[in-house]
Amino acid sequence: MRNDGAPAAEGRSRAGGQASAVPAPRREGGFLPLRSYAALGDGRSIALVAEDGAIDWLAWPNLDSDAFLAALLDPGRGGSFTVAPVEAYTVHRRYLPGTDVLETVFHTASGSVRVLDALTFKGRRLGPMRELQRRVEGVTGSVSMAWSVDVRFGFGQRRVRLGRRAGVPVATAGAEAVAVLPVNAGMPSTVDGRICGAFTTTAGSRSVVALCGAFGEPLVLPTAADLEERFDFTVEEWRRWSGTLACHGPWDDSVLRSALVLKSLIFSPSGAVAAAATTSLPELIGGARNWDYRYSWVRDAAFTLGTLLRLGCTPEAEAYFWWLLQATQLTHPRLQPLYRLDGGPRARERVLPVQGYRDSRPVRVGNAAATQLQLDSYGELMDCVWLHVQAGGTLDPDIGRRLAQVAELVADRWREPDAGIWEVRSAPRHFTHSTMMCWVALDRADRMASLGLLPSGRQSHWRTEAAACAAFVEQRCYSARVGSYTRSAGSDDLDASVLLGLLAGYGDSTSERWRATVAAIRRGLGRGDLLQRYTGEDGLAGGEGAFVACAFWLAQALARTGQVAEAAALVDRLVALTNDVGLLAEEIDPETGDFLGNLPQGLSHLALISAAAEVSALLDAP
Amino acid sequence: MTVLQTVAGGLVGTVVLTSVLRAATELHLTRIDLPFLLGTAVTADRTRAKALGYALHLLFGELFALVYLALFAAVGRHDWWLGALFGAGHGVFAGTALINVLLPLVHPRMGNDVSDATEVALMEAPGFLGRNYGPQTATVGLAAHVLFGVTVALFLGPG
Repeated sequence: MRNDGAPAAEGRSRAGGQASAVPAPRREGGFLPLRSYAALGDGRSIALVAEDGAIDWLAWPNLDSDAFLAALLDPGRGGSFTVAPVEAYTVHRRYLPGTDVLETVFHTASGSVRVLDALTFKGRRLGPMRELQRRVEGVTGSVSMAWSVDVRFGFGQRRVRLGRRAGVPVATAGAEAVAVLPVNAGMPSTVDGRICGAFTTTAGSRSVVALCGAFGEPLVLPTAADLEERFDFTVEEWRRWSGTLACHGPWDDSVLRSALVLKSLIFSPSGAVAAAATTSLPELIGGARNWDYRYSWVRDAAFTLGTLLRLGCTPEAEAYFWWLLQATQLTHPRLQPLYRLDGGPRARERVLPVQGYRDSRPVRVGNAAATQLQLDSYGELMDCVWLHVQAGGTLDPDIGRRLAQVAELVADRWREPDAGIWEVRSAPRHFTHSTMMCWVALDRADRMASLGLLPSGRQSHWRTEAAACAAFVEQRCYSARVGSYTRSAGSDDLDASVLLGLLAGYGDSTSERWRATVAAIRRGLGRGDLLQRYTGEDGLAGGEGAFVACAFWLAQALARTGQVAEAAALVDRLVALTNDVGLLAEEIDPETGDFLGNLPQGLSHLALISAAAEVSALLDAP
Repeated sequence: MTVLQTVAGGLVGTVVLTSVLRAATELHLTRIDLPFLLGTAVTADRTRAKALGYALHLLFGELFALVYLALFAAVGRHDWWLGALFGAGHGVFAGTALINVLLPLVHPRMGNDVSDATEVALMEAPGFLGRNYGPQTATVGLAAHVLFGVTVALFLGPG
């Protein structure tokens, strides 16, 4: 088996420096801090692995399927898969370089052992539809290990049958089945509905416990040799892919990890990029701001495409672009804020009867924001197309006509109030960011019409309406009293999303208004190095943490307005806020540093890559 | 009652049978996937296995339709209900002897009671009446085969 022999030499501590082993985390009420989770991906689904060796989240067959390991949301009924020493230990983690394969090293009084976790790629031989491998290698001494698999299909809501096939324990429910395949990992037994085993490692020993999933087909139960070959293939493929990336600059490690997170969030059958791997991890512990992020948001389109192109991921960028155009055709010319990963428009929201992360309820599946009017999405779509064109992509006449119809819709509707990028559940209003992005939509349509890519019959109308958008923003959405573009027309509230207007090219980045806005947002929304999203009400009870992406937008905005050194210092401090393996959630509690919201969060990592790339480039500029 | 009619009936009947099983899978009633089972007997490539499996399944459907033709000729009638009866018998045979006993014997990647997981890659065996693939498999399989028999009989014209 080929992987790095020296265990845990390149891990980073929480502070961003070289790591040392940390004590085993202690669960409170069955929960661990969200910071303790690492992610495994295979382009179809994502598993979350805790520092104590428990996989508390995994949905098969797809990322947006019902989870069958969901202790993250309900330790009692959710299901998990644990591999850990029986005795007390300290733990140290990292990813194998350039891969999504996690290495966890447990140090005990009697020896040390390393666990390599991967969702494997399909490889060259007949293998299971889905496979999770946990390879356990003795490093020193002798360590007693125990493992336990508690399969709970449908977020723990479905009845699970346990049986055996050719001696292999199998859990089934309807058309779903998961086999638990131990190799040199003790005899499996069933205890209280869990499939368990125990074994002892010695220096150089190798064991595996694999989960093999089948959905709507018979199970495939691989051999030990097949498992090993597929694991090696997975490591090789990750390294081959990450070797093609263009990651340079002072934050290249963080950019590489973010790129790997982004790749994991790409749903390979369609090219869609999921916003995050999970649902209903709370933005406030005990709060109700718990949403299902296993969808693809149009608002992230330009960021996503720009980042993929910047990283050199041309095939992924192409796939995403065409997925976006196909998905949005279903509702053309209207855009939904979000679409399913298969491109479908329906995202019916329902509430699950589960405990919720640290009792944060409701736990939602589906997302009602799909039906909201969010005018900023149109700007994101058109900016995404513009980036595609600038990168040498082509548009056929039919697509050009469709985009012209979208521009026409924006010209007709930009004066309407909407729910805005933050999907508020209060009354619609004229959000500044939405209007800025309507200007972006009309500006890009105008430019593409000038290049002959869109029909030019209505070009002057789009230009007139773009000017009207800008006039509205300048007259109604800037407060001299606050010294900033504000959250909405006529308001003195602040909103970090207006920074996206700057980054998308609205107005002159060297203008006094933008410099003042950047300063006002930093002053008024700053929570340490982080930013809260906005001030003012949003129709939801309770507060939330600081929104990670906003802080990176601020760093990029600082650089864009000429404060490059300050921007670089801020990026330095922000990348140190990642967890021990380089992941980011949606939000961070500025008081405690705890992660909040869904994870790993694509937008947070997109913003990291974007800020790091722009600030690096400006630092290198003569 | 001609061979050509039988071939047409066998083709449509197999399509009906496959569609019913596929629909049952989508409804989470069973994990049975006959084309996948047949195809993996020939190749380890998943995609090729499914395509080959569909071809093999159609071929076997035609062979069974010809057996039906012989049985109809032997009893001297081919009413739809007789087709349903033959289909039921076919379903019971498939669920007991064919996929439970014969298929594991000839399938190079399928395990049986004495196999373990350390020698060759193993397909999950169907078990008696295919119940390893879900407790509803027997019912769904029986219904699908009854529809196959009815379809073949209807293609042979009025009984």
